[in-house]
Amino acid sequence: MLRYIIRRVMSAVPLLFGLLTFTFFIIRLAPGDPVSLYIQGDVDPMYAENLRNALGLNDPLPLQYVKWIKGMLSGELGVSFSKHAEVTHILAQTIPNTLLLTFFALVFNFIIGIALGVTTALKRGSATDHVVNISSLFVYSMPEFWLGLMLILGVSLHLDLLPASGMHSPMARFLPTWEYLWDLLLHMILPVFVLGVASAAATGRYMRGSLLEVINQDYIRTARGKGLSEVLVIGKHALRNALIPIITLLGLSLPFLLGGAVIVETVFAWPGMGKLTVDAIFARDYPLIIACTLVSGVMVIAGNLLADILYAVVDPRIRYE
Amino acid sequence: MSPRILFVAVLCCGLFVSCGSKSGEKDPMSQAAVVALSGDADNFNPVVSNSSTSSDIQGNIYPMMFDVSFDMREGKLKYGKGLVNSWEHANDGKDVILHLRTDVRWQDGMLVTPEDIKFSFSLYGDPEVASPRRSYLESMIFTDGKFDVNKSIEIVDDSTMVFHFAKQYPLQLFHINLSPIPEHVYRNADRKTLRSNPANERPVGAGPFKLEEWVRQQQITLSRNPKCTLPYPAKLENVIFRVISEPTTRLTELKKGTVDVMRPVYPDDVKDIQENNPQIKLLTLPPRSYEYIGWMNIDTEEYHNSGKVVAHPLFGDRRVRQALTYAINRKELMEHELGPYGELAVTDFSPIFRWAIKHDLIPYPYDPEKARQLLRSAGWSDSNGDGILDQGAKDFEFTLHYNIGNKRREYVATVVQKELKSIGIKVNLQSVEPVVLYQNIEDKRYDAFIAGFSVGLAIDPAGRWGEISNPFNTVAFANRRIQELLKLGLHVATERDAGPFWKEAQAILHQEQPCTFLYWIKDIVGVNRRLKNTNINVLGVTDHMWDWTIGDPNSYMTY
Repeated sequence: MLRYIIRRVMSAVPLLFGLLTFTFFIIRLAPGDPVSLYIQGDVDPMYAENLRNALGLNDPLPLQYVKWIKGMLSGELGVSFSKHAEVTHILAQTIPNTLLLTFFALVFNFIIGIALGVTTALKRGSATDHVVNISSLFVYSMPEFWLGLMLILGVSLHLDLLPASGMHSPMARFLPTWEYLWDLLLHMILPVFVLGVASAAATGRYMRGSLLEVINQDYIRTARGKGLSEVLVIGKHALRNALIPIITLLGLSLPFLLGGAVIVETVFAWPGMGKLTVDAIFARDYPLIIACTLVSGVMVIAGNLLADILYAVVDPRIRYE
Repeated sequence: MSPRILFVAVLCCGLFVSCGSKSGEKDPMSQAAVVALSGDADNFNPVVSNSSTSSDIQGNIYPMMFDVSFDMREGKLKYGKGLVNSWEHANDGKDVILHLRTDVRWQDGMLVTPEDIKFSFSLYGDPEVASPRRSYLESMIFTDGKFDVNKSIEIVDDSTMVFHFAKQYPLQLFHINLSPIPEHVYRNADRKTLRSNPANERPVGAGPFKLEEWVRQQQITLSRNPKCTLPYPAKLENVIFRVISEPTTRLTELKKGTVDVMRPVYPDDVKDIQENNPQIKLLTLPPRSYEYIGWMNIDTEEYHNSGKVVAHPLFGDRRVRQALTYAINRKELMEHELGPYGELAVTDFSPIFRWAIKHDLIPYPYDPEKARQLLRSAGWSDSNGDGILDQGAKDFEFTLHYNIGNKRREYVATVVQKELKSIGIKVNLQSVEPVVLYQNIEDKRYDAFIAGFSVGLAIDPAGRWGEISNPFNTVAFANRRIQELLKLGLHVATERDAGPFWKEAQAILHQEQPCTFLYWIKDIVGVNRRLKNTNINVLGVTDHMWDWTIGDPNSYMTY
């Protein structure tokens, strides 16, 4: 297994390099000048030229590429054009916020999704099954943007139960640790819910289908025939096999952990990677775009690798040599 | 313990903790104001910062040479005492002698000296630094095309310095009023990478506030600078700027009372706020931004290929441009989009400059018949009966570009398409991503486009209507008399002396219609009434922020 993991990690290096090189050229060939956003009416036209020189944008493309490769090999991701700071510094501030939000959204997604899936599968054809299925479709169809705004208006503005946006109250840094964490928790509830609820509806549907397939298998009938309790039959025998497709979902969801969620971050003013990436694209902030691509690329590869490893953990038939 | 009991216990603990904090302790929000921003700052070095957020905040962190205000009655800037105690002009107005305060200290205890000011101007003028404010120095002394800081700025003694200009002109004090930065912090900084210098995130200022904390994309916290010796110390303990890019969320925070100041409030939301949120007062700012439809005056293909200036085949004729303005119902567009928060634009001279406005110019009315007449006189007729005007084989057809996602401009484009169709002009609509749109407009790649422009605090139309090559002369308008008036208007002793030149320039612009000026936009600012002494005006939301106070200390909404 360890050799398999090392081989996969090694093979990811050229893949990532190719991805970043592709991104490097594609964003530079795309129309739009990174400097144009900073030019206003009373600005010296020479400013644009000076700024292009200062940012190295007037260098020939091959030279820019060589400089970029040198930077990458020495671990430097460059300086953001729009935020005027080291890209690593910006990522270090943003990644934890995104991880916090998306981790809890994923936990919410899988716990609620699996619970719903198991419940509806076991109560197939019942009123509960129908209600949950229809509700799931309804929730899944709702645009995050709309749901987020409705919750802000309903829960935050009219019911006044939770804060509307941000990660903390303005003076949270003066609070004692527990109150600080409580404040953070309150600010997380709405964005985590919006981010996780649609995925939970989808996970629930997958889980239901997967479990229904498993509980009709012969070995489940055998387990029941042996007189095992229903909890043991479902919990130990059925659920383990039914979870295999869900693990694929988990692997695919992992990039989202760092890729962030643009819409939810925008609506709830959550300072995460999704919003950062979109802002970087609109500002033609080349170093920041490449860094965000790197983070997403690493997470896609890591997510797939993790899914493969979890297959082996969950399904004893799978062995990696 | 069952999970249900555990959950209830956690919630109760949390509630207990959060409620307990309020007893006996002073709520930090009782002396703090919260301002909602749509975008974050880029850095806090006034030499290199680009964003409007940075500009708004820096004026409160760094010492300003003058305490500038805008007199709305007169329509001009007024200069009060700041770092400069008094000033006088000499050498036929080409020199400005400044008498500085000697008791102003940077946050780290060092004195603010004339050397700091001279050093800062050397950075503002250095092409390697690429300061966006370098144009402020263009009337100072240059040697071999480079800003000569030693010839431009003379230090007489610890409290006196002289700024030498190449000419006398009305904006001298405005151009001196750049924030100085501490030399001892930046002396050894690499000028090429000044933009990303880590010191820019920890500004050492001397203004009424200091930067307490900056969490990117989240919040900027300023606290009162107790060591400030400038004549305008801060009254509030803290001002917090929160970055909330989504307008609905920003508005919700304002309505909840968790944000005290928000800009802009959209006209559609005004009625609801007035009816349901008596704690919010709405202020209307005098207009400094307008929107226009640009008609390219020259044949851009010829211009880009050979550099020759040839009239545009469609819009090169003044009568055609006039006809287009007559054919568009600008008043209805403005009323639909802005209601009472718009003002029909006659030219691009902002109504805030009352003394310079030519009040007898009458806006072009909506008159499609007049438009048809003008087009006929310019040689456009529907010779083949297909409903589209033509000149022989050439149809009157063009593409109108506007930025994607801008609802107001999308609406304008649709209405313009419909209205021009009624007089026989075929308009194709093309929405473009903003970065690409602005680049192509500045490069003069479009025949027609919808755009906006914000004017400065002093009249300086040289960029807009000067050389064709200037990127801000977006429609490549070239008029000899306008060029002469620009030179005359920018070389007078006082602003008022330029009045006649600017009025003549407006008459020419009105006649020539280099573009169709649509409307001025009056921004609406929402302010919670708990915030007192706000002087929100044309200079911005944070102007004179140091005077803000809180009316009711217990009025901030907390959880």
